[in-house]
Amino acid sequence: MSKGILLIRKEAIKIIAEKISNNPIVSANGYLSRDLYEVCDKPSNFYMIGSMGLSSSIGLGIAMMNPKKRIFIFDGDGNILMNLGSLITIGSVMPKNLIHVVFDNSSHESTGGQPTHTSKIHLEKIAKASNYIVFKTSTKTGIEKIIKKIKTLHGPIMILVKVSKSKTQSKRVEIPPKKIRQRFMKSLTRS
Amino acid sequence: MKPNIQKKIFDYLLKNKIQNFNGVPDSTLKYFIEQGLKKNKVLITTREEEAIGISVGMALTQSSTVVFMQNAGFANSISTITSLVQLYEIPLIFLIGWRGYLKNDAPEHEKIGKIQPKLIEILGLDSKIITEKNWKISCNWALDKIQNQKSCALIVKRDFVD
Repeated sequence: MSKGILLIRKEAIKIIAEKISNNPIVSANGYLSRDLYEVCDKPSNFYMIGSMGLSSSIGLGIAMMNPKKRIFIFDGDGNILMNLGSLITIGSVMPKNLIHVVFDNSSHESTGGQPTHTSKIHLEKIAKASNYIVFKTSTKTGIEKIIKKIKTLHGPIMILVKVSKSKTQSKRVEIPPKKIRQRFMKSLTRS
Repeated sequence: MKPNIQKKIFDYLLKNKIQNFNGVPDSTLKYFIEQGLKKNKVLITTREEEAIGISVGMALTQSSTVVFMQNAGFANSISTITSLVQLYEIPLIFLIGWRGYLKNDAPEHEKIGKIQPKLIEILGLDSKIITEKNWKISCNWALDKIQNQKSCALIVKRDFVD
C-alpha cells in the first residue's frame, strides 16, 4: 500500500470508467453512483439507486446472459458487506467476464461516514476464498496497470481500490430510473 | 401440490421461453425445483434479495426469469421489490410458497402466512393462487404479464404439514 495520500473515490472511478470505454457498468447505490454519473455518464452505466447491496448480483445476472461482454461492477465496501453471499454465488458460477471493482473507504459515506468493518477484515481474503482473482491497489498507476493486466485474464476478478473519504459530494443521478433501464438495455444490444 | 403437477409447471414455463429460475429453496416447491435442477436451469442463491438482483440483471438482457422463494423470503424481499423491480419496471415472475396457509403450520409461519395476501396487495404486485386445477391458466396469465413488461406473483399454498 502507498504511504501517500489516497485517491478519493471519484478520482478512482474516473480513471477506470474512462479506461474501459463502453463496457457495461453496474454501480452501487449511495455516493458511488452519483460520482460515476458526475465524472463519466454513459448509457452503458446502470445506476442502481435503491436496493442496497445488490449491484454485484445484478452484474452477475447480466454477465451470465451476456458472455461476450465484460461486465464491470462498481461496488462499495458498505454495499458488498450487505450482500457477502454474492461472492459465494459469483465464485460458484465463475463468470469469466465479470470484473468486480470495490472502492473501499471503510465507511458508509452517504449516511454520515459511519465506519464499516473493512479496516479490520480483509475483503481480499474472502474474495480469494470465493474463487476470485484479486488485485489490490490505492494509486492511479496501480489502477492503470491492473486494468491493462486483466485484459488477458478470465474472471471472476476483484479489484480492491482503497480510497479515502471525500470532502465534497456529487449531485444526484438526474435520469429517471425507467430511462436508466431503457438506455442501458439498448447499449447491451450493441456489439 | 402434487409432485407431477409441480414438474408439469416447470416444464411448461421452460417450454414457454422462461430461461432462468433463480431462488432460495422451499419445501412447498420441492418438486418444481427438483425438475429445474435436473434440467440444469436453476440457480440457488444465498438469499432472496440476491436472487431478485440476479434475475433483474438477466431481465436487462431481455431474458425471461422466474424467482422462487418461500413467503418468509418474500418478506425479506420487500425493499428490493419496491426499490429495484418496481422502480425500474422490470418484468419478473415470482413463485412463492405460502407457509402459514394452514392454521396448524409451524409457529414461525403463522404471522407472515396471515398477512401475506394483504402484503402482496399493498405492494401492488398482481398475483394469482396457482393450483392443481388452474395451473396452466395461471402460467399463461403470468407469461402474458411479463410479455407486457409487468411483474407478477404465483402463490402456491402449503396444503400439508410435515
